[in-house]
Amino acid sequence: MVRKKLTWKQVVIGGGVIIMLLADLTFYIWYQSESVRLGYRIHELELKVEQLKEEIKKLETRKAALLSPERIDRMARENLNLTDPKPEQIIFENLVEK
Amino acid sequence: MIVQEKSFLPGFPRKKIKFILLFILLWMCLILVRLIDLQVIEHKKLKTEVIEQSQDLIKVLPTRGNIYDRNGKILARSLPAASVFFSPVKEEPLETQVKNIYQLKSILNLGENELKKIISGIEKRKRFTWIKRKIPLEVAEEIKKRKLPGIYLIEENRRYYPLGTLACHLLGGVNVDDAGMAGVEYYYNNELRGEEGQKLIMRDARRKEFFIQTVKETKPGKDLYLTIDATIQYIAEKELQQAVENFGANWGTVVILQPQTGEILALANYPNYDPNEFPPTEEQMVNCAIQHTYEPGSTAKIVTAAAARELAGISPNTYYDCSQGYITFGGTTVRDHERMKILSFPEVFIHSSNVGSIKIADLIGEEKIYQMFKTFGFGQKTGIDLPGEESGILHPLNKWRKSSLRVAIGYEIAATPLQILRAMNVYATGGYLVQPKVTRPQPAPVAEVIPAVLNDVSRWPRILSPKTVRELVETVFTQVVEKGTGLEAKIDGYDIAGKTGTAQKFDPALKAYSYAKHVASFVGFAPADQPLLTMVVVIDEPKGIKQYGGQVAAPVFREIVRKVLLYLHQPPKKLPEKYWLAQDKRKQEVITD
Repeated sequence: MVRKKLTWKQVVIGGGVIIMLLADLTFYIWYQSESVRLGYRIHELELKVEQLKEEIKKLETRKAALLSPERIDRMARENLNLTDPKPEQIIFENLVEK
Repeated sequence: MIVQEKSFLPGFPRKKIKFILLFILLWMCLILVRLIDLQVIEHKKLKTEVIEQSQDLIKVLPTRGNIYDRNGKILARSLPAASVFFSPVKEEPLETQVKNIYQLKSILNLGENELKKIISGIEKRKRFTWIKRKIPLEVAEEIKKRKLPGIYLIEENRRYYPLGTLACHLLGGVNVDDAGMAGVEYYYNNELRGEEGQKLIMRDARRKEFFIQTVKETKPGKDLYLTIDATIQYIAEKELQQAVENFGANWGTVVILQPQTGEILALANYPNYDPNEFPPTEEQMVNCAIQHTYEPGSTAKIVTAAAARELAGISPNTYYDCSQGYITFGGTTVRDHERMKILSFPEVFIHSSNVGSIKIADLIGEEKIYQMFKTFGFGQKTGIDLPGEESGILHPLNKWRKSSLRVAIGYEIAATPLQILRAMNVYATGGYLVQPKVTRPQPAPVAEVIPAVLNDVSRWPRILSPKTVRELVETVFTQVVEKGTGLEAKIDGYDIAGKTGTAQKFDPALKAYSYAKHVASFVGFAPADQPLLTMVVVIDEPKGIKQYGGQVAAPVFREIVRKVLLYLHQPPKKLPEKYWLAQDKRKQEVITD
């Protein structure tokens, strides 16, 4: 059996097809791995967003506790030595004339 | 022509080539068989295993709705927390498992009883034992780092009440599974809890998550806005606590209502509890304002006065001889707290004469008295959006005895403090029976609501004519505070309307009313001409010399109203006896300088 010699044209076309297939395959693999990589990244960021949201909630709750009327009252009395004003100590800005 | 087949590898023995080809063929056959086994025969089983390993369908817990006050202050919120549990590892000996638990003792502050319970669970070879639930995430992180075999963590939510005991009876509390157990947490549990969701998590060969898909969206619980104002609530709670402690009372309650809307601005009870440590003791748990019924005593006379004017047409110019100090009827004797003289109709109520009230009630008649109490809502729940409200007792007319006329002075009837408050609120609104409520659709500070609702009471049923209301408020209820039993409720510069109550308690042991045990109360509204607040104060069994409502409850009412009106920037409409004007003060400071 005599082996047929390939022409340059056939070699170029064949080589081109193989290169195209390899390029497609490479792109596909790159695309898949990139999707997975981005999946990891999105997941990480989503977790971070959740964590930050929870952190905000926690800080808001802490703020509410720090601004509780009971705490403010206690601090005003103990740290600033404030007392309740007596009725006659209250100064009115606008009152009907005597 | 016979073409001789040539070897494609000249010089390589054909036998060897055949052998290699046969080997490759066999090897390929083996692979084929294995592939058929994997892809066809064991396909179902292996697919399940793969899904199990690479995909997780997890439940996503909904976040319970927040609870805010009317100004948007956070009263309750759920935050993530972790729960620790134990699940035995087969190869671990029992001693090591117990040792692992002891390692958590200090981190989790486990008490001896808790430890005993956990260890007994392990010894019984239980597959699952809770160690501690709802711990802070920082503590969970510390446990995670230790990598103790058999110790696992799961994420849950924990309910926080940042203002501690404030408004505890309104808020109620939740159990360890985040289900509402009392207060609005229970009443609005369906709205607050939300709906569970589902997420599909894809993992790679190293069990690392790389894709998450929401299968079912989680519905977070709805937020709830209460009608209370945290500052007014605090003022009420503080004054109440002081009074209950000073008088050594059993319990006390204060409820403040915005008259026209029925919105509760404060509901305070003492003893109270911290909802962060739910459940409290049974005694602390009682919401006295709606769950304690008592014979209201003289505060019930606000209904008798209405019946006299509205149904019986008794003139305010009639006079009643109360000089004897007691009256006997239907086999029972009713006494006044002191001997009085001949009193006019308004004076009977201003000085809270029981004798005069019974004489007036006798003129009104049982039927009309009963009718008016029923119209005022006694013996029925007010319909407030809180669980466990008591309806009180108003016996039907056919079960009245001869002595039942005492209903007119607040005996043989049982009411909750809220019912008394609603009755007085009829006068504050010009004759309307308003339904109290503790929630509103959106936040709105009190000051914003006041102008909008002052004249908007027509949606409620009118039960008294404006004439009767005006007349009784002017001639009776403001005078109670100006010169009657409620003098202690007077606030310089403001007109206050109210009624005192001192009810003797029935002693079941003696089977008689006790002279030593009273329920002291005061119910009223302020300012009398354009009410912004209606309030009831009830103190149970004050100890000591002061026992009357005018001595025990009226000062509490005064202090709360004074502070709340200042907080709401409501200056007096008439000049106080002692006062400072800013302009005078400034002039004085200039002169001094």
